[in-house]
Amino acid sequence: MRWLVYLFREAWANLRTNRTTTVVAIVTTAFTLACVGIFLLSYVNLRHAADWLQEDIKVIVYLDDRLSQDVFQDLEGTLKADRMVGGLLYISKEQALGEFRAQFPSDSHLLEGLGENPLPASFVVTPAPNYRSLDAVNRWAERVKTMAGVAKVDYNQEWIDALAGLIRYIELAAISVGVILSMAAVTIIGNTIRLALFARREEIEILRLIGATRAFIRIPYFIEGAVLGVCGSALSLGILKLGFELFRQQIGSVGRFRGIETLVSFLPLSICVAFVAVGMVLGVAGSMVSLRRFGEGRG
Amino acid sequence: MIQLIHVSKSYDRRVALSDLTLEIGKGEFVLLMGPSGAGKSTLLRMLIGEERPDQGQIFVQGKNVGQLRQSEVPYLRRKIGTVFQDFRLLPKKSVFENVALPLIVQRSSTADIRRKVTEALRAVGVEHKKDQSPASLSTGEQQRACIARAIVNGPVVLLADEPTGNLDPERTAEIIELFKLINARGTTVVVATHDPHVMSLVNRRVITLMQGVLMPERQGGDSVGV
Repeated sequence: MRWLVYLFREAWANLRTNRTTTVVAIVTTAFTLACVGIFLLSYVNLRHAADWLQEDIKVIVYLDDRLSQDVFQDLEGTLKADRMVGGLLYISKEQALGEFRAQFPSDSHLLEGLGENPLPASFVVTPAPNYRSLDAVNRWAERVKTMAGVAKVDYNQEWIDALAGLIRYIELAAISVGVILSMAAVTIIGNTIRLALFARREEIEILRLIGATRAFIRIPYFIEGAVLGVCGSALSLGILKLGFELFRQQIGSVGRFRGIETLVSFLPLSICVAFVAVGMVLGVAGSMVSLRRFGEGRG
Repeated sequence: MIQLIHVSKSYDRRVALSDLTLEIGKGEFVLLMGPSGAGKSTLLRMLIGEERPDQGQIFVQGKNVGQLRQSEVPYLRRKIGTVFQDFRLLPKKSVFENVALPLIVQRSSTADIRRKVTEALRAVGVEHKKDQSPASLSTGEQQRACIARAIVNGPVVLLADEPTGNLDPERTAEIIELFKLINARGTTVVVATHDPHVMSLVNRRVITLMQGVLMPERQGGDSVGV
């Protein structure tokens, strides 16, 4: 067990010997990873919003005014039997007018002059839980449009499309920024490890000559890299959390955005853990790059 | 124990060793003499797998060192103790920790480490300095600590490269006596030196290298310098 203690003690000694470099590396890594975290946070919240919109999706099937009773019954029967339909609510022309008047009382006079009620009857369809994806709703709407007695099919497609597009962009940006900044984090940690390697080059040489294996020599530096990565990513989560709470507080105090603060949420615990794990992997990668460049581990 | 068969080595056309063939038996004490640049250190580096010959073969305890995989080299080095002219003790570790290093890299148990390090330090006479840092030791004591590190895991061969280069004649004699004691316990000892004084202290086999070429063998203890 003494060898294990030795390896950890060496890693700790490395971190302590180059204290300033260690702190600078952790802080720099933290800010670098915090930038990645901002994209991750935006992505997670937009996905939440998209899921929430999809859960709430309603498809309105407007009916032709000249629809006969037989065709209406056929259509109603077909929709009720459709496995994609989770809920079906009929809104008659009169109910539609009543809702319009209730929702827009100041504009209700606009319809007075028309004499006849211009609003169509409709079915408000709630898709079944398994068919709420944008693709499924799109396909279903296209199919329903061709049915007899259907004048138009409408749903909040534009919103969902726009949000899906935004999510794709954020996803792409998060991946690109993530890759670039991860490489930066690897370089930062790698340089710190290189300083440690340089400071201990004589010790490494002695270890080699007395029969230390490549792994034995490398492990303290891997541990050091992992510690830097974990500390950097954990600190970046702290910075993100602080920034996130400030943002939520600020946005809550702005009248037009009031209420949004309850909809946004911080990264879930599983993603936080994964984020720290990625930090650790980046740290080890930094060590690996430096050890390779330093030429350590030969014979 | 050690066998070299037509070994040659050059660095950028400069010949370090030329067609060297020699054998060192188990339990022998051999002085490897020659001026600086004669190829002594190159030969020692080859024995521990630090350098590979351009031509020829090197066997240590039956293993062809030149054909060992890099991953096998550390295991060869665990059978060979190495003593350096500049001691190469780690300044931030105590004497005990320095001597314990070869055992730690072999993953020996804590009890084993304590026992073997204490024995090695006692054998070289610096047991009372075990908790001190190497910098607080005299040069002779530092070399003793370096020797303790080299013998702590019971190597079959002890290689010493100019071990007395930094010592005065009195300390030199002490260190040579120590090598003789280690040799008496069955360890093959090869001491590389350019110091004729060392030769006068050892009445053993002397191998001389001149510009990488093996010269006729002599016996130590006489007054012939190099």
